[in-house]
Amino acid sequence: MNKLGQFNFVWLFAIIVGGAILFLAIYGAMQAGDTARFQSDTEVAKSIAIITDPLQVGFGESSFGRISFNDETRINNICLGSGFGKNDISVSTRSNVGEEWNLAGGATSIHNKYIFSSEQNSGEDYYVFSKGFDFPYEVADLIFLTAEDYCFINAPEEVVDEVLGLGIPNIEFDYPTGMPLGSELSNCSVADAVKVCFGNGDGCDMMVYGSCQSNCDSVFDAGVVSKGSGGDLKYVGSLMYGAIFSDKAVYECNVERLMYRAGKIAEEFASKGDLMDSRGCDTNIKSDLIVWSGMLFNSTADNLMSMRMTSDNLGKKNKRELCGMWR
Amino acid sequence: MRKIGQMKIQQMAFMIMAVFLFFILVGLFFIGIQFKDVRGTAAQLQKDQAISSLRVIADMPELNYDSSETMTVDEDKLVVMSSNFSGAYNVFWPVASVGVYKIYPAFDSVKKCPGLGCNFYDIYDSGQSNVKTYSTYVSICKRVREEGSAFDRCEVGKLVVGVKINE
Repeated sequence: MNKLGQFNFVWLFAIIVGGAILFLAIYGAMQAGDTARFQSDTEVAKSIAIITDPLQVGFGESSFGRISFNDETRINNICLGSGFGKNDISVSTRSNVGEEWNLAGGATSIHNKYIFSSEQNSGEDYYVFSKGFDFPYEVADLIFLTAEDYCFINAPEEVVDEVLGLGIPNIEFDYPTGMPLGSELSNCSVADAVKVCFGNGDGCDMMVYGSCQSNCDSVFDAGVVSKGSGGDLKYVGSLMYGAIFSDKAVYECNVERLMYRAGKIAEEFASKGDLMDSRGCDTNIKSDLIVWSGMLFNSTADNLMSMRMTSDNLGKKNKRELCGMWR
Repeated sequence: MRKIGQMKIQQMAFMIMAVFLFFILVGLFFIGIQFKDVRGTAAQLQKDQAISSLRVIADMPELNYDSSETMTVDEDKLVVMSSNFSGAYNVFWPVASVGVYKIYPAFDSVKKCPGLGCNFYDIYDSGQSNVKTYSTYVSICKRVREEGSAFDRCEVGKLVVGVKINE
């Protein structure tokens, strides 16, 4: 009887402690797996910041690249304004148990780039397209990150040339009233593509209304992208793509960041003017630049179209200068 | 009999402690390997970023001379950016330090600009120690006016960026 009691106690003790060890081992393995995933997602976010460097336009007009993942991946883009601001990029992978997506890895803060995208994009292939933004001098390269397919309906020739020239595969074109003369374009082939209509069109997810009247290559050089419940986003120049490809929050935040940077560059030019004056390369636009920087620091996307005229005038004034503040 | 039972319980307790310690040591070993890997990856990513940043920084509108040319920096902008003006840009740079040397004529000692015969523009320095530097050659240009006509005057320079090394 006594032996039986001892045997029972030993077994009971072993089962309880064995269970505890097993539980801790499984918990530890899961935690290690989560840490490894977090590490990998953080690395990917940091890599996105690095691999977009060669996409900076530099002396070119625009550039295009593709980022491919092995599995479906979500890229989160949180824009924070105030001063130079930043884009916080984080990555999460699809989960096979519980929640649809795992918790995102550590975010990489990018202060010197302007990434236009939805706050959350998901897909295996991402298309990254970059274009310079001048206002009136070079301010920054804008980076457009998309994973969805787009169908541009009645797009102007400039947009078609640019997209086809870069070979962006997720943007197609459609002309319901007939293709432009001499065009070899075919209709949009992806059924669930986001429909972007320029000026007019049926069944559109968003409309682009051009309102440029002077110094324009196309009426769509300035205007409004109307996204229905997504709001109306005013744009000038290459910001049109930013308005099409990003959420209102990301777009407006990035525009504020861009305006702040444009203001700082105007201040730098004003200081540069003093140095140029001192060696006989006189400039007459210093006072204009000081006023311009003041305007830029307090401006938002809503002021873009009204400021475009001042920007154009400043650009013309600079062209008339012998030395020129910028080229 | 009671003593044997107590002995067995003691044996088992020691055994359990040993098993726990074994698992903890194995866990620490794997965590050590993993963190070494993280440190290596972070250092590699920082290095990649510094190298790719060289062109990005040289072509930034705050430094570049002509938007239609690459790897050409504006000397006037260097003067402005190496003054107090660059303070606002502290959070902006993707690297730990940015500087530009004039490398011709060759010099024996570094002389900070602005100043007569200076050869080094200190654009940004985060003050971090353990910084590894990467560099590339650039043209340093400015617009000058002589005898009524304006032209570009360029010199050879070296853009140097630093990244923090984690040890």
